[in-house]
Amino acid sequence: MSDQTAQPATDELHYVQYEVEKEDVYLPAIRQLISKDLSEPYSIYVYRYFLYQWGDLCYMALDSSNNLIGVVVCKLETHRSGTFRGYIAMLAVQESHRGKGIATKLVCMAIDAMTARDADEVVLETEVTNTASLKLYERLGFLRSKRLHRYYLNGNTAFRLVLYLKPGTATKRPPEVGDFGQYAQYGDAEEELRSREGIQAQTRIT
Amino acid sequence: MTEPMPPGGSTSGKEGGALTQEQPGVSAASTTLPLRHSLRAAAIDPKLHDITEKFTEACNALKIGQLVKDEYFTLFESIGALEIMDTKMDSGFLQPGETLDEVYDTLAPLLPEEVIGIMDQLLCYEMAWHTGYPLSQTLLTSVYIDKLLWPEPRSVEQAQFYRGYVSEERRPGLLLRVLRAYCLALVKCVDSGIAVITNRDFFEEEDICTHTYNRVLFPQVGADVFVGELEDVIQNVQECAEEYITDDLKKAMLVRLEFRKNFLAALDLECPLDQLNKHWPLMQSNLVAINVTHQLGKPVEGSFSTKIQRRLASTVPPRPIVVLEFKDAFEKLKQLCADCEEATRFTSLPQNPLEYQSFMWAFASRSPPPLTYSRSYLSNLLFHPSSDLSILLQSDLGSLVFPASVVLDPSNWALSPPQNPNLPKDKRFQLAQLINDFTERAGHAYLEFWTALGQNRCRLRRMLCHAILGFDQVQNDAYTIDEGIMALTQEMGSAPENEIMPYPLTTWSYYRKLWMMEKVVFLGFEQDIYLPDEFAAQYHFLSTIASTRSRLLTNVSTHINAKYRRLFAAEGQTLRVATLVETANYVDSLLAESIGVHELSTALAKFWMVVLYLGLLGGKKLARPFSSPELRYELRMKPFWTLQPAEVPPFEEFRRDVWSYGPYDKLTPRFLEDLQNPQAELWMELDEAVKRAKEAWAQVKRFGAKSARAEGVEESWKREIQGVLASCVALGVAVAGIKGQAPKDLGEIRVEIPKVGSGKRYREGWVVGKVCRG
Repeated sequence: MSDQTAQPATDELHYVQYEVEKEDVYLPAIRQLISKDLSEPYSIYVYRYFLYQWGDLCYMALDSSNNLIGVVVCKLETHRSGTFRGYIAMLAVQESHRGKGIATKLVCMAIDAMTARDADEVVLETEVTNTASLKLYERLGFLRSKRLHRYYLNGNTAFRLVLYLKPGTATKRPPEVGDFGQYAQYGDAEEELRSREGIQAQTRIT
Repeated sequence: MTEPMPPGGSTSGKEGGALTQEQPGVSAASTTLPLRHSLRAAAIDPKLHDITEKFTEACNALKIGQLVKDEYFTLFESIGALEIMDTKMDSGFLQPGETLDEVYDTLAPLLPEEVIGIMDQLLCYEMAWHTGYPLSQTLLTSVYIDKLLWPEPRSVEQAQFYRGYVSEERRPGLLLRVLRAYCLALVKCVDSGIAVITNRDFFEEEDICTHTYNRVLFPQVGADVFVGELEDVIQNVQECAEEYITDDLKKAMLVRLEFRKNFLAALDLECPLDQLNKHWPLMQSNLVAINVTHQLGKPVEGSFSTKIQRRLASTVPPRPIVVLEFKDAFEKLKQLCADCEEATRFTSLPQNPLEYQSFMWAFASRSPPPLTYSRSYLSNLLFHPSSDLSILLQSDLGSLVFPASVVLDPSNWALSPPQNPNLPKDKRFQLAQLINDFTERAGHAYLEFWTALGQNRCRLRRMLCHAILGFDQVQNDAYTIDEGIMALTQEMGSAPENEIMPYPLTTWSYYRKLWMMEKVVFLGFEQDIYLPDEFAAQYHFLSTIASTRSRLLTNVSTHINAKYRRLFAAEGQTLRVATLVETANYVDSLLAESIGVHELSTALAKFWMVVLYLGLLGGKKLARPFSSPELRYELRMKPFWTLQPAEVPPFEEFRRDVWSYGPYDKLTPRFLEDLQNPQAELWMELDEAVKRAKEAWAQVKRFGAKSARAEGVEESWKREIQGVLASCVALGVAVAGIKGQAPKDLGEIRVEIPKVGSGKRYREGWVVGKVCRG
């Protein structure tokens, strides 16, 4: 599927899955690439949080000398709503390589991997002014589901983007609703509060 | 924890979770740090164990990058992790030669222009806080405020720019005392602001940060104490000889002190309702004078420092001070005052929930959007202790489904159950019980609805989605209660006041639900949620909801008219007849409005359908390799999937309606034929819908704001209706630009979507394309 959409990437690039065993090789480069566009850096723990648990959902674009050109970092777990939800946490491409479809290719690989692991949906947030990022995801089939006022620490507003992968996702329910106590009441609102401190890593892609 | 620790870079959890799980001894040792309060009570006699060796040994068993955490340690918590010795994360990290604390001397004498400069700097930070930045990056970066608040003073008296003994010549002179009074009043203003905002059960941390970082902002001290401090220095400044402070500087200083005094009074949560509208207008004159004298001030940059953040109760490293230019801060302040002044008009509205609703909606629609404080201020008036939600709800019911009816007769509530339980209960008593039952069941959803109206626009849309589900349940519950009410009123005889419409509570709940659904779609357009190729579908959906609402209102109208005829014929019913006429006007206005929404959205759905078929928006078609129309439909309709009765049509039905000519990227001969034939059903229906929309909205306008229960916001109501009428006209023009054209002639035509907030939409939610040539 991803083959149809990804623009032909630069010849010498190759795409590989992250390997936890090679953390010392990959992680410093990943951190450097991602934190370049962020006002607030993430600690190494945040990267490890994703990479240790969902390394197989992280893909990298490397050039012929194995320099990191692009990376996508994701997670996939059962969400409170009852869906098996993929989340694209970080996506970045070296500035000099933007506009060549590398980010699209990386995202496609991640979505393919999540599909293979039976994900119901894929979600992410991105700044309302990040046109390149919005275009990328919307070309792939994502829709904007809600607007999140002042979502990021810098005061910027975000869109939540969602892609359903399977029919019946909208009506999925958690096994036992009662367990969620008071949080069930405000549903997503609570989640928004929890995650707003954080992931602002859909960096400018073109 | 991840291990082993790389040299100079370790990680730690923010609280609970991973860190304490792994190192039970550490929490006791770190209680001297100004971290956030522990949920657990501190141990009385902590026993310290050195676990370094054990810990290091245990760590050796872990691989690099291996994560040790329990399943409850979430992403959110992981984001709170810090890296020691990283300048951007470690709040204690000092550059070589850097000092821990600021060396600024708060007792050094200031020039009058410096005092004015600092006051204006503080005002900028105060407004930056109001727009959502934390105190730690705004007001609490002031060295003066820091001195006043830390160490925590035991009294206002003790809150000085120094602690303990100072020699006579170091004691603060008049200008420092002026600054102190100003700072103290400012601190109290923030405290009152937080009190108003947190007074509501539900407020948004994304909008405003109420965290005070362990600094106590005098919550126990009344505003009058700070007013007293201000008045003292005002008098001193007034009496001060010109050789010390020139006349213009004196005036500039005095107006700032006066402003602060008025602001403090206006923000005071204890302010009686009938005094509310006194303070805000007073500030208008202060504001003008502050603005023109701003250039007299001389900022003192050194009196603000990021370093103070190190000693605030926060785990985050010092972040840059937020810069808000004076002119921007001043605009925000002006807006805050104007919005709050407008909010005070709430207290003089006609006492009717529908008027309240119109007011809240108009307030939330103000541009620029009101700040959190102003919205909380209004919500506090709505939820004032003197107002009762169940009375509001019953009045709401009376306005639509129980006009001039025995069901809501106040005397029903004066009755008691018979002393002998075997005797039948009075029917009116039973009616009151049923209404009470309904009030209780609907209360939560109804409260959520009103709470939603006080939120920022983004959250308003999301909370309405949630309230819709609540009302769906209410509608379901109403059914049985309705049967009880219908049976009782029937038994009560055929007097006109006993006559009620079938299933009144169900009707009311359903009406409310449909209204909210329309708003959710409408706000979706306003918030740029829908992609252009969803426009036709969303307007089509809006038109179906509005038409259901019209049908419901037609039933209500029929009932009211029949009842009116009976009451009019009966004797001694003048009062009831008057009530009924009022309700009839309201329902007629609603009916016209629902028809207006239905027709205009029908027309827009058809218009955008044609535009999409013709590809007039330019740009490439979205490939969407991972998605399908069915999946996107499911996602888009998610908030409404489970509603009963079903509001979401099956996909096939939807496809038939919205893609009447097959998929967008294939032009069928039938479409091309219709396109060029102005008499084709497609165009006839479109023109008819635009015409009927115009008529309906013109009718709403004729009925007027009073009938629409928007008397309290007549001006903005009129603007809104005018905007919709203009949208109808614009749509007519756009349609004329495409109708009957051969595809070859359309080559030069493109359709532009007026951007949200560009001022080019007559109403943000009604997106009318602009047909351009070339």
